[in-house]
Amino acid sequence: MATEQFLIAGELRADSFLPWIERHIRRLGLHGAASWRADGQVEIILSGPPDLIDAMELGVSLGPIDVWVETVGRRPLANTETA
Amino acid sequence: MSGDPILDEWYPVALVSQLGPLGRDTRLLGQPIRVYWGTDHQPQVSDANGRALPVTCRYGHVWTCPGTPSRPLFDIPEADQPGRRLVDVGVVRVKCSPLRAVENFLDIAHFPFVHTDILGAEPHTEVGRYDVQIRDEVDEVWATKVQFYQPQAAKSAAGGITTEYMYRVPAPTVAVLYKTCPPRPGEWDVITLFVQPLEQDLCEVWPWMALFDDTTSLTDLIHFQQTIFVQDRSILENQLPRLLPLDPGMEIPTRADMTSIAYRRWLKRRGYSFGAQLVAA
Repeated sequence: MATEQFLIAGELRADSFLPWIERHIRRLGLHGAASWRADGQVEIILSGPPDLIDAMELGVSLGPIDVWVETVGRRPLANTETA
Repeated sequence: MSGDPILDEWYPVALVSQLGPLGRDTRLLGQPIRVYWGTDHQPQVSDANGRALPVTCRYGHVWTCPGTPSRPLFDIPEADQPGRRLVDVGVVRVKCSPLRAVENFLDIAHFPFVHTDILGAEPHTEVGRYDVQIRDEVDEVWATKVQFYQPQAAKSAAGGITTEYMYRVPAPTVAVLYKTCPPRPGEWDVITLFVQPLEQDLCEVWPWMALFDDTTSLTDLIHFQQTIFVQDRSILENQLPRLLPLDPGMEIPTRADMTSIAYRRWLKRRGYSFGAQLVAA
Protein backbone atom coordinates (compact mmCIF):
# COMPACT_ATOMS: atom_id res chain seq x y z
CA MET A 1 0.00 0.00 0.00
CA ALA A 2 1.16 3.53 -0.70
CA THR A 3 -0.07 6.98 0.20
CA GLU A 4 0.51 9.88 -2.17
CA GLN A 5 -0.34 13.52 -2.62
CA PHE A 6 -1.45 14.65 -6.10
CA LEU A 7 -1.33 18.35 -6.94
CA ILE A 8 -3.38 19.09 -10.03
CA ALA A 9 -2.97 22.28 -12.05
CA GLY A 10 -4.84 23.50 -15.11
CA GLU A 11 -8.19 25.00 -15.99
CA LEU A 12 -10.09 23.34 -13.17
CA ARG A 13 -12.83 25.79 -12.30
CA ALA A 14 -15.77 23.50 -13.05
CA ASP A 15 -17.80 22.54 -9.97
CA SER A 16 -18.03 19.04 -11.39
CA PHE A 17 -14.34 18.31 -10.86
CA LEU A 18 -14.17 17.37 -7.17
CA PRO A 19 -17.22 15.06 -7.29
CA TRP A 20 -15.76 13.52 -10.45
CA ILE A 21 -12.46 12.86 -8.66
CA GLU A 22 -14.19 11.27 -5.70
CA ARG A 23 -16.23 9.00 -8.00
CA HIS A 24 -13.05 7.95 -9.77
CA ILE A 25 -11.33 7.21 -6.44
CA ARG A 26 -14.21 4.92 -5.45
CA ARG A 27 -14.29 3.30 -8.88
CA LEU A 28 -10.63 2.32 -8.50
CA GLY A 29 -11.16 1.04 -4.96
CA LEU A 30 -8.76 3.59 -3.51
CA HIS A 31 -9.10 5.59 -0.33
CA GLY A 32 -8.74 9.33 -0.48
CA ALA A 33 -10.21 12.79 -0.70
CA ALA A 34 -9.88 15.87 -2.90
CA SER A 35 -9.88 19.53 -1.92
CA TRP A 36 -9.27 22.97 -3.40
CA ARG A 37 -6.13 24.87 -2.46
CA ALA A 38 -5.87 28.62 -2.17
CA ASP A 39 -3.66 28.77 -5.29
CA GLY A 40 -6.41 27.25 -7.43
CA GLN A 41 -4.86 23.80 -7.61
CA VAL A 42 -6.64 20.66 -6.49
CA GLU A 43 -5.01 18.42 -3.90
CA ILE A 44 -5.76 14.72 -3.61
CA ILE A 45 -4.49 12.50 -0.83
CA LEU A 46 -4.71 8.86 -1.94
CA SER A 47 -3.97 5.47 -0.43
CA GLY A 48 -3.95 2.13 -2.19
CA PRO A 49 -1.92 -0.21 -4.40
CA PRO A 50 0.71 1.65 -6.47
CA ASP A 51 -0.64 0.37 -9.81
CA LEU A 52 -4.07 1.76 -9.02
CA ILE A 53 -2.58 5.08 -7.95
CA ASP A 54 -0.87 5.15 -11.37
CA ALA A 55 -4.29 4.47 -12.92
CA MET A 56 -5.72 7.37 -10.93
CA GLU A 57 -3.08 9.69 -12.37
CA LEU A 58 -3.96 8.60 -15.92
CA GLY A 59 -7.69 9.04 -15.31
CA VAL A 60 -7.28 12.45 -13.71
CA SER A 61 -4.95 13.64 -16.48
CA LEU A 62 -7.89 13.28 -18.89
CA GLY A 63 -10.61 14.30 -16.44
CA PRO A 64 -14.18 15.36 -17.23
CA ILE A 65 -14.90 17.22 -20.47
CA ASP A 66 -15.29 20.65 -18.83
CA VAL A 67 -11.87 20.54 -17.16
CA TRP A 68 -8.39 20.81 -18.66
CA VAL A 69 -5.69 19.21 -16.52
CA GLU A 70 -2.29 20.64 -17.41
CA THR A 71 -0.13 18.76 -14.90
CA VAL A 72 -0.43 16.18 -12.16
CA GLY A 73 2.35 16.46 -9.59
CA ARG A 74 2.90 13.42 -7.36
CA ARG A 75 4.61 13.17 -3.98
CA PRO A 76 4.85 9.98 -1.91
CA LEU A 77 3.72 10.43 1.68
CA ALA A 78 4.08 6.85 2.92
CA ASN A 79 4.76 3.36 1.67
CA THR A 80 3.63 0.37 3.70
CA GLU A 81 4.52 -3.21 2.79
CA THR A 82 1.62 -5.60 3.24
CA ALA A 83 1.80 -9.35 3.61
CA MET B 1 -10.19 29.55 -41.10
CA SER B 2 -13.78 28.45 -40.69
CA GLY B 3 -12.94 28.22 -36.99
CA ASP B 4 -14.36 24.73 -36.73
CA PRO B 5 -11.60 22.36 -35.57
CA ILE B 6 -13.33 19.44 -37.27
CA LEU B 7 -13.93 21.05 -40.66
CA ASP B 8 -10.47 22.62 -40.87
CA GLU B 9 -8.56 19.30 -40.93
CA TRP B 10 -7.26 17.38 -43.95
CA TYR B 11 -8.87 13.98 -44.62
CA PRO B 12 -8.00 11.12 -47.01
CA VAL B 13 -10.80 10.42 -49.48
CA ALA B 14 -9.32 8.24 -52.24
CA LEU B 15 -6.24 6.48 -53.52
CA VAL B 16 -4.87 8.43 -56.48
CA SER B 17 -3.89 5.17 -58.21
CA GLN B 18 -7.41 3.78 -57.91
CA LEU B 19 -9.41 6.84 -58.84
CA GLY B 20 -11.07 5.77 -62.09
CA PRO B 21 -12.52 7.92 -64.86
CA LEU B 22 -15.97 7.81 -63.24
CA GLY B 23 -14.66 9.27 -59.99
CA ARG B 24 -15.74 8.27 -56.51
CA ASP B 25 -18.89 9.20 -54.62
CA THR B 26 -18.25 8.93 -50.92
CA ARG B 27 -18.95 10.67 -47.61
CA LEU B 28 -16.97 12.85 -45.24
CA LEU B 29 -18.09 13.88 -41.75
CA GLY B 30 -21.65 12.76 -42.51
CA GLN B 31 -21.92 14.67 -45.79
CA PRO B 32 -21.74 13.43 -49.40
CA ILE B 33 -18.71 14.42 -51.46
CA ARG B 34 -17.45 13.55 -54.90
CA VAL B 35 -13.84 12.86 -55.87
CA TYR B 36 -13.09 13.07 -59.60
CA TRP B 37 -10.51 13.98 -62.22
CA GLY B 38 -10.61 17.64 -63.22
CA THR B 39 -10.02 19.02 -66.67
CA ASP B 40 -6.46 19.80 -65.58
CA HIS B 41 -5.95 16.04 -65.00
CA GLN B 42 -5.67 16.58 -61.25
CA PRO B 43 -8.02 15.07 -58.66
CA GLN B 44 -10.79 17.40 -57.53
CA VAL B 45 -13.29 17.16 -54.66
CA SER B 46 -16.66 18.83 -54.40
CA ASP B 47 -19.36 18.84 -51.74
CA ALA B 48 -23.10 18.20 -52.18
CA ASN B 49 -23.63 21.80 -53.37
CA GLY B 50 -20.94 21.50 -56.03
CA ARG B 51 -18.54 23.68 -54.02
CA ALA B 52 -14.91 22.86 -54.82
CA LEU B 53 -12.99 21.83 -51.71
CA PRO B 54 -9.25 22.25 -51.15
CA VAL B 55 -7.29 19.26 -52.46
CA THR B 56 -3.77 17.99 -52.03
CA CYS B 57 -2.29 14.70 -53.23
CA ARG B 58 0.36 13.11 -51.02
CA TYR B 59 1.35 9.67 -49.75
CA GLY B 60 -0.60 8.03 -52.57
CA HIS B 61 -3.89 9.55 -51.46
CA VAL B 62 -6.22 12.40 -52.32
CA TRP B 63 -6.74 14.65 -49.28
CA THR B 64 -9.43 17.25 -48.83
CA CYS B 65 -10.59 19.73 -46.21
CA PRO B 66 -14.28 20.65 -45.90
CA GLY B 67 -13.45 23.98 -44.22
CA THR B 68 -10.36 26.13 -44.52
CA PRO B 69 -7.16 24.22 -43.72
CA SER B 70 -5.73 25.37 -40.41
CA ARG B 71 -2.27 24.20 -41.52
CA PRO B 72 -0.61 22.34 -44.41
CA LEU B 73 -0.90 18.57 -44.59
CA PHE B 74 1.54 16.99 -42.11
CA ASP B 75 4.97 15.97 -43.40
CA ILE B 76 6.38 12.44 -43.54
CA PRO B 77 9.95 13.06 -44.72
CA GLU B 78 10.59 9.33 -45.17
CA ALA B 79 8.18 9.37 -48.12
CA ASP B 80 10.89 11.13 -50.14
CA GLN B 81 13.80 8.99 -48.94
CA PRO B 82 15.47 7.08 -51.83
CA GLY B 83 15.23 3.30 -51.67
CA ARG B 84 11.92 3.05 -49.88
CA ARG B 85 8.97 1.21 -51.35
CA LEU B 86 5.78 3.21 -51.07
CA VAL B 87 2.84 0.85 -50.69
CA ASP B 88 -0.81 1.74 -51.16
CA VAL B 89 -2.52 -0.98 -49.13
CA GLY B 90 -6.11 -0.19 -50.13
CA VAL B 91 -9.18 0.46 -48.04
CA VAL B 92 -11.00 -1.33 -45.22
CA ARG B 93 -14.45 -0.10 -44.15
CA VAL B 94 -14.99 -0.42 -40.40
CA LYS B 95 -18.21 0.16 -38.46
CA CYS B 96 -16.56 2.14 -35.70
CA SER B 97 -15.72 5.67 -34.70
CA PRO B 98 -12.81 7.02 -36.75
CA LEU B 99 -11.15 7.96 -33.45
CA ARG B 100 -11.53 4.39 -32.19
CA ALA B 101 -9.68 3.20 -35.32
CA VAL B 102 -6.77 5.52 -34.56
CA GLU B 103 -6.76 4.59 -30.88
CA ASN B 104 -6.64 0.88 -31.74
CA PHE B 105 -3.65 1.49 -34.00
CA LEU B 106 -1.86 3.14 -31.06
CA ASP B 107 -2.55 0.24 -28.71
CA ILE B 108 0.30 -2.23 -28.34
CA ALA B 109 -1.22 -4.28 -25.53
CA HIS B 110 -3.69 -6.02 -27.86
CA PHE B 111 -1.01 -7.49 -30.15
CA PRO B 112 -0.57 -10.89 -28.43
CA PHE B 113 -4.32 -11.42 -28.15
CA VAL B 114 -5.58 -10.16 -31.53
CA HIS B 115 -2.57 -10.62 -33.79
CA THR B 116 -1.42 -13.84 -32.15
CA ASP B 117 1.89 -15.24 -33.45
CA ILE B 118 2.30 -12.30 -35.85
CA LEU B 119 2.66 -9.05 -33.90
CA GLY B 120 2.65 -10.66 -30.46
CA ALA B 121 2.49 -13.94 -28.60
CA GLU B 122 1.88 -15.16 -25.10
CA PRO B 123 3.61 -15.13 -22.63
CA HIS B 124 5.25 -11.93 -23.99
CA THR B 125 2.31 -9.70 -23.08
CA GLU B 126 3.88 -7.05 -20.89
CA VAL B 127 4.19 -3.53 -22.26
CA GLY B 128 7.30 -1.90 -20.79
CA ARG B 129 7.60 1.72 -19.80
CA TYR B 130 7.80 4.20 -22.65
CA ASP B 131 7.64 7.96 -23.13
CA VAL B 132 4.56 9.85 -24.32
CA GLN B 133 4.23 13.55 -24.88
CA ILE B 134 2.17 16.15 -26.68
CA ARG B 135 4.86 18.08 -28.57
CA ASP B 136 3.64 21.65 -28.43
CA GLU B 137 6.09 22.89 -31.07
CA VAL B 138 4.45 20.70 -33.74
CA ASP B 139 1.11 20.11 -32.00
CA GLU B 140 1.40 16.33 -32.35
CA VAL B 141 1.25 13.33 -30.02
CA TRP B 142 4.45 11.23 -29.89
CA ALA B 143 5.15 7.95 -28.09
CA THR B 144 8.79 6.84 -28.13
CA LYS B 145 10.99 4.05 -26.73
CA VAL B 146 8.16 1.54 -27.10
CA GLN B 147 9.57 -1.99 -27.09
CA PHE B 148 7.68 -5.22 -27.68
CA TYR B 149 8.55 -8.81 -28.55
CA GLN B 150 7.08 -9.86 -31.87
CA PRO B 151 7.17 -13.31 -33.50
CA GLN B 152 6.98 -11.79 -37.01
CA ALA B 153 7.34 -8.03 -36.84
CA ALA B 154 7.22 -7.52 -40.59
CA LYS B 155 6.88 -9.56 -43.73
CA SER B 156 10.67 -9.31 -44.12
CA ALA B 157 11.43 -10.57 -40.57
CA ALA B 158 12.85 -14.11 -40.42
CA GLY B 159 11.87 -14.81 -36.81
CA GLY B 160 10.97 -13.28 -33.48
CA ILE B 161 12.62 -10.01 -32.49
CA THR B 162 12.16 -7.29 -29.92
CA THR B 163 10.80 -4.48 -32.03
CA GLU B 164 11.15 -0.83 -31.14
CA TYR B 165 8.31 1.47 -32.07
CA MET B 166 7.53 5.15 -32.21
CA TYR B 167 3.98 6.38 -32.65
CA ARG B 168 2.98 9.76 -33.95
CA VAL B 169 -0.45 11.39 -34.29
CA PRO B 170 -0.07 14.39 -36.59
CA ALA B 171 -3.81 14.87 -37.26
CA PRO B 172 -6.94 13.68 -35.43
CA THR B 173 -7.65 10.84 -37.87
CA VAL B 174 -4.07 9.93 -38.78
CA ALA B 175 -1.54 7.77 -36.96
CA VAL B 176 2.02 7.04 -38.08
CA LEU B 177 4.00 4.09 -36.77
CA TYR B 178 7.79 3.95 -37.02
CA LYS B 179 9.18 0.50 -36.30
CA THR B 180 12.47 -1.37 -36.36
CA CYS B 181 13.42 -2.17 -39.93
CA PRO B 182 14.75 -5.78 -39.96
CA PRO B 183 16.81 -5.59 -43.17
CA ARG B 184 18.24 -2.13 -42.46
CA PRO B 185 19.24 -1.45 -38.85
CA GLY B 186 19.26 2.25 -38.03
CA GLU B 187 16.29 3.03 -40.26
CA TRP B 188 12.60 2.93 -39.43
CA ASP B 189 9.85 1.33 -41.45
CA VAL B 190 6.89 3.68 -41.69
CA ILE B 191 3.35 2.34 -41.52
CA THR B 192 0.47 4.78 -41.47
CA LEU B 193 -3.21 4.69 -40.82
CA PHE B 194 -5.15 7.33 -42.71
CA VAL B 195 -8.78 7.35 -41.58
CA GLN B 196 -11.64 8.84 -43.56
CA PRO B 197 -14.49 9.65 -41.16
CA LEU B 198 -17.70 8.80 -43.01
CA GLU B 199 -19.99 9.11 -39.98
CA GLN B 200 -19.43 9.37 -36.24
CA ASP B 201 -19.46 5.56 -36.05
CA LEU B 202 -18.35 4.53 -39.54
CA CYS B 203 -15.02 5.03 -41.26
CA GLU B 204 -12.78 3.88 -44.05
CA VAL B 205 -9.21 3.06 -43.17
CA TRP B 206 -6.46 3.61 -45.72
CA PRO B 207 -3.17 2.07 -44.55
CA TRP B 208 -0.04 3.21 -46.38
CA MET B 209 3.59 2.18 -45.96
CA ALA B 210 7.10 3.42 -46.76
CA LEU B 211 9.42 0.44 -46.28
CA PHE B 212 12.94 -0.74 -46.92
CA ASP B 213 12.15 -4.19 -48.31
CA ASP B 214 13.50 -5.23 -51.69
CA THR B 215 12.55 -8.87 -51.54
CA THR B 216 8.90 -9.26 -50.52
CA SER B 217 6.40 -9.11 -53.35
CA LEU B 218 3.93 -6.24 -53.38
CA THR B 219 1.08 -8.73 -53.10
CA ASP B 220 2.59 -10.25 -49.95
CA LEU B 221 3.22 -6.82 -48.38
CA ILE B 222 -0.37 -5.78 -48.97
CA HIS B 223 -1.73 -9.12 -47.84
CA PHE B 224 0.29 -8.95 -44.59
CA GLN B 225 -1.11 -5.54 -43.66
CA GLN B 226 -4.64 -6.41 -44.74
CA THR B 227 -4.52 -9.50 -42.53
CA ILE B 228 -3.63 -7.30 -39.56
CA PHE B 229 -6.38 -4.79 -40.26
CA VAL B 230 -9.05 -7.41 -40.83
CA GLN B 231 -8.14 -8.93 -37.45
CA ASP B 232 -8.53 -5.48 -35.90
CA ARG B 233 -11.89 -4.90 -37.55
CA SER B 234 -13.69 -7.61 -35.60
CA ILE B 235 -12.48 -6.04 -32.35
CA LEU B 236 -13.27 -2.47 -33.37
CA GLU B 237 -16.80 -3.24 -34.49
CA ASN B 238 -17.67 -4.70 -31.10
CA GLN B 239 -16.17 -2.03 -28.83
CA LEU B 240 -18.39 -0.28 -26.32
CA PRO B 241 -18.99 2.58 -26.05
CA ARG B 242 -18.92 2.93 -29.82
CA LEU B 243 -17.66 6.52 -29.69
CA LEU B 244 -14.28 7.36 -28.15
CA PRO B 245 -14.81 8.63 -24.58
CA LEU B 246 -13.04 11.89 -23.81
CA ASP B 247 -13.92 11.32 -20.14
CA PRO B 248 -12.46 8.07 -18.73
CA GLY B 249 -15.83 7.28 -17.13
CA MET B 250 -16.16 3.56 -16.49
CA GLU B 251 -12.82 2.74 -18.08
CA ILE B 252 -9.74 2.11 -15.99
CA PRO B 253 -6.77 3.18 -18.08
CA THR B 254 -3.43 1.64 -17.11
CA ARG B 255 0.21 2.33 -17.93
CA ALA B 256 -0.17 0.51 -21.26
CA ASP B 257 -2.85 3.05 -22.24
CA MET B 258 -0.62 6.13 -21.89
CA THR B 259 -0.64 6.81 -25.63
CA SER B 260 -4.42 6.52 -25.80
CA ILE B 261 -4.81 8.94 -22.90
CA ALA B 262 -2.40 11.42 -24.51
CA TYR B 263 -4.36 11.13 -27.79
CA ARG B 264 -7.65 11.81 -25.99
CA ARG B 265 -6.15 14.76 -24.11
CA TRP B 266 -4.89 16.17 -27.39
CA LEU B 267 -8.31 15.76 -29.07
CA LYS B 268 -9.95 17.44 -26.10
CA ARG B 269 -7.55 20.38 -26.19
CA ARG B 270 -8.17 20.84 -29.92
CA GLY B 271 -11.94 20.65 -29.46
CA TYR B 272 -12.13 17.69 -31.85
CA SER B 273 -15.34 15.79 -31.12
CA PHE B 274 -16.45 14.00 -34.33
CA GLY B 275 -16.63 10.34 -33.26
CA ALA B 276 -16.08 11.22 -29.60
CA GLN B 277 -18.27 10.73 -26.55
CA LEU B 278 -17.91 13.81 -24.37
CA VAL B 279 -19.55 12.69 -21.15
CA ALA B 280 -19.03 9.32 -19.48
CA ALA B 281 -21.93 6.93 -19.92
